[in-house]
Amino acid sequence: MTEKDFLSKALTDIALTRRSFLKWSAALGGSAVLAGGVNYGLKAAAVTAAVGEATWVPSACWHNCGGRCLLTVEVVDGVIQRVKTDDTHEDTPDFPQQRGCVRGRSQRMQVLAADRLKYPMKRKNWSPGGGQKELRGKDEWVRISWDEALDILSSETKRIVKNYGNESIYSVTQGDVNRTLRLFGGHASGWGMTSWGTWVDTPLITGGYDVRYSNTGNDRLRLRDSKLIFMWAANPAVSSNGSPTYNFLQAKKAGAKFIFVDPIYNDSAMVLADDWVPIRPATDLALLLGMAYVMITEDDPEKNPLIDWDFLDAGVVGFDEDHMPEGSDPKDNFKDYVLGTYNSQPRTPEWAAGICGIPPYRIRSLALEYATTKPTTIINGGASTRIHNGSSTSQGFITLACMTGNIGIPGAGVGLSCHNRAGNAGPALVSAGGSSVPGISNPVDARVNYNQSWEAVLTGKYIAAKDDIRDINFQMIYHGGYITANQCTGLSKGIEAHRAVEFVVTQGHFHNTDARYSDLVLPITTQWERYGTFTAGNREALFFSSQSIEPLYEAKDDMWVAVELAKRLGVDPKEVEPFPLKQQIFNRLVGAKVIKSDGSGYEPLVTITASDIAEMGVEGEPQTGKIPYKEFKEKGIYQVPRSPNDKFGFTEFEDFRNDPEAFPRGTESGKIEIYSQPYADKVTGYGFSVKHPLPTYDKVTEGYEDTFGDFENKIKGDYPLQLYTIHYQRRSHSIFDNVPWLREFFPQEFTMSPSDAESRGLKQGDQVLISSRHGKVLRRVHITERMMPGVVTLGQGAWVEMDEKSGIDKAGCTNILNGGIYTDQGNLGFNSCNAQVEKYTGPINLEPDHTWAQRIIIEEA
Amino acid sequence: MSNQLAFYFDASACSGCKACMAACKDRSDLPVGVNWRKVFQYGGGGWVPDPLDPRYTLPNNIYSYAVSVACMHCENPLCADVCPASAITKQADGTVLINTDLCIGCRYCEWACPYGAPQFNEGTGQMTKCDFCVDLQAQGLNPACVDACVMRALEVGDLDELRQEHGSIDAIEPLPLANITKPALVVKPHRHSSPSGQGAGRINDPFAEEV
Repeated sequence: MTEKDFLSKALTDIALTRRSFLKWSAALGGSAVLAGGVNYGLKAAAVTAAVGEATWVPSACWHNCGGRCLLTVEVVDGVIQRVKTDDTHEDTPDFPQQRGCVRGRSQRMQVLAADRLKYPMKRKNWSPGGGQKELRGKDEWVRISWDEALDILSSETKRIVKNYGNESIYSVTQGDVNRTLRLFGGHASGWGMTSWGTWVDTPLITGGYDVRYSNTGNDRLRLRDSKLIFMWAANPAVSSNGSPTYNFLQAKKAGAKFIFVDPIYNDSAMVLADDWVPIRPATDLALLLGMAYVMITEDDPEKNPLIDWDFLDAGVVGFDEDHMPEGSDPKDNFKDYVLGTYNSQPRTPEWAAGICGIPPYRIRSLALEYATTKPTTIINGGASTRIHNGSSTSQGFITLACMTGNIGIPGAGVGLSCHNRAGNAGPALVSAGGSSVPGISNPVDARVNYNQSWEAVLTGKYIAAKDDIRDINFQMIYHGGYITANQCTGLSKGIEAHRAVEFVVTQGHFHNTDARYSDLVLPITTQWERYGTFTAGNREALFFSSQSIEPLYEAKDDMWVAVELAKRLGVDPKEVEPFPLKQQIFNRLVGAKVIKSDGSGYEPLVTITASDIAEMGVEGEPQTGKIPYKEFKEKGIYQVPRSPNDKFGFTEFEDFRNDPEAFPRGTESGKIEIYSQPYADKVTGYGFSVKHPLPTYDKVTEGYEDTFGDFENKIKGDYPLQLYTIHYQRRSHSIFDNVPWLREFFPQEFTMSPSDAESRGLKQGDQVLISSRHGKVLRRVHITERMMPGVVTLGQGAWVEMDEKSGIDKAGCTNILNGGIYTDQGNLGFNSCNAQVEKYTGPINLEPDHTWAQRIIIEEA
Repeated sequence: MSNQLAFYFDASACSGCKACMAACKDRSDLPVGVNWRKVFQYGGGGWVPDPLDPRYTLPNNIYSYAVSVACMHCENPLCADVCPASAITKQADGTVLINTDLCIGCRYCEWACPYGAPQFNEGTGQMTKCDFCVDLQAQGLNPACVDACVMRALEVGDLDELRQEHGSIDAIEPLPLANITKPALVVKPHRHSSPSGQGAGRINDPFAEEV
């Protein structure tokens, strides 16, 4: 049967699927018949018929989202009935429950979905060497046994290594299989920051962060002391769904004013905003420089103090000619750069307005408000630096915070404050220990920047460093949990690249993009089907999840695949997996630490008895901790209670601010270096751009200026709109995209401002063709005044659904629109992209996403 | 005490995330297309040339807020009034329930309800709607939606007690005027919300546009 037949069979033949469910250990009782005949593996609606006792098992919500919450599943007679979230203690603003989001609540629909990968599969028209490689992405599939699958995997790996060397394997899986490949001589890797823009190298400016560069500013209780909070390219209601927005609401209730700086009036603004400053994507540095100009020119230490000269003098290098590092040109200081003293372009508000779109008087009032309000926090989402040529942007934020003295004071802060640490900075108060599994180093050092990977497949060359272009011959691509094909830039070229190499293999849960363009697909277990795992919540919470169901169909653990491959490759499986998962979990329990109540240090978290150890079947010694093992396993969470003025408050840079001599930063001068030669050297050294030691303005590739054919005379070019790509509520990156509930709630709309839509003759819900220099996608348009004119947006993470005839992606995968462009720190610049939009008049008719057939490739045998 | 169970909804805190929708569907095993609780955003405003400098465009009163609505378990449930099979009844605690032993799936209640509460299940051919999680409440637990809300925007309780604590507003745009069915609902307005019937905005949620 063809794939199409399989799909239509799945839609109509409910009885087949019902029988198949009984074979699962989860013993799903049947499927509720659904609107439109779409079946996604629900158990029978007759919940009340279930007889047995219910047990609640904390199960992982393991995704790389910004929330991280407690999820517990109700199991009755081996069937998962429903999920619930944290109810382990009374809920208060100071000690809030760690509640799951819309995706966590839909988790059952993901793990138990009918489109889970069931069996290993090979592409029908594959043969060693690739066979008909051009059919990748549109071929049929054949079910094979695990033996055959592993034989194919090992023989292709051996053949390719023999013919082309280990460098020819581009492995972008996570963890386990890489261990095996490294024992077999290694593999090439990818690099480049997908998540956090250009904040990665900023520790060179500030000295290392206390924890991570996404963990800046204050803890959530001290944040309540902020008078003014800038939510700058930040949308925690979507990107850190869970507790963060609730925490920000407490800061608002305590009196903080919220100003959102964002191209769209986002959902967090809906709850929190006192003010919204619309800004064009990738132009934040222009605004920052314009604000700096105002502060510098209008500052009067007596009558109108806008600049914290004392702090600049004691703690900062590079601001003016009196504070420049040895060996540098004193004229090359930030103040004179902004004033244009020695260059031809003063960074006036008028200059800045021409780029960022904010009127000059508004830039001036923002500058004055920031400079005269203390303490002020800037909460940076990653979005403003997820751009090309963005290293000076992150640097600019740090510079302005230094100028206003909003560093190191409780309630003040700057920097990336996102993901599960959004608005809640500080060292973890509770954490799991290590697994004690030794790492295996990679004998191959070839690392290709993700922006360049697909180009490297096609050209055979990549930039290893400045003035260092090397040859590379990728012939094997190994995909896993990182979902590189769908989630990295340049997918249009990526599809071509996937059809060029000799072998592509994907291991995962669903027939996503990476699987679709593969030769071999391996079904993998989810965390619900594994012994257990730990997930770090925010700093206050640690989640400990346990297995709730047996592996579905023939799904195996990633580690099992790695071990089986090791056996066939002739490397030592005991080195790949020195001890089983349950021992690793035990080791992590042993090493789990929690802050002492007086804040003076850490102590063991878990009390483990000899009988616990015997029951678990592991090796180890009993120990005393804060809570008994059984209680921790049953609750699935340990959360440190907090209250205002407890011992766990945190303000970044506080020690340094109070005594820069006693607590120097980890820079050469011991101060914050807004003029940083090491930063410039590092960025220039990657080989993509030339970086000045100061935060200087450089045109952003596919930023605002590139929407013009002639910027001087303001004549728009072929791609006159700015596209930026948001985190989208339906998904955690690309995860959950296939869950029909979530498709119904969040239809992957393409968002435009009314004036842009009107000038193109578009009406609400019209099909629109969105084109960039790199590809085309088709979506329905959502017209809203919340979007600023000249800017459009689309959620990232949709699984590409290429219409082969037209070359148009029907799903709206943003990486078809984003090109593989490498600049600066080599970060992925998703938010600098130019686009054109027109009403679509072709033959494709887009049905709502939730009516699309699920990708059920192989039916139950 | 009013002997009327009611929902409290804090529109000022709701972030429109739809976690309550998912929690409800998960607890009640609802298929795609059947949503006993619905969340959608309402807003308005526009863009104007900057009066000080025509080169720039400014946002003019752009706003949005979300409403989360389930069944109102109304004092005057129109659904019960119009049902030809007498399948909908109001219980002693104020809950309005559909008896699926009697429902003939004529969808008349769907027409009648101004809140869109009754939802037709194509698979079973019958009407369904929010039942206040009667089984959970019997165990002393909250409805699934209430405990799911990450912004703590939902509460359940006695109508009089909720009114004493939170006031007696029971209608904001885009909800209908409350005098039609007398919903058992207390709403805390959003800073940008208008009373029902007085708003200048419209529903601007892609979910609601499609469905």
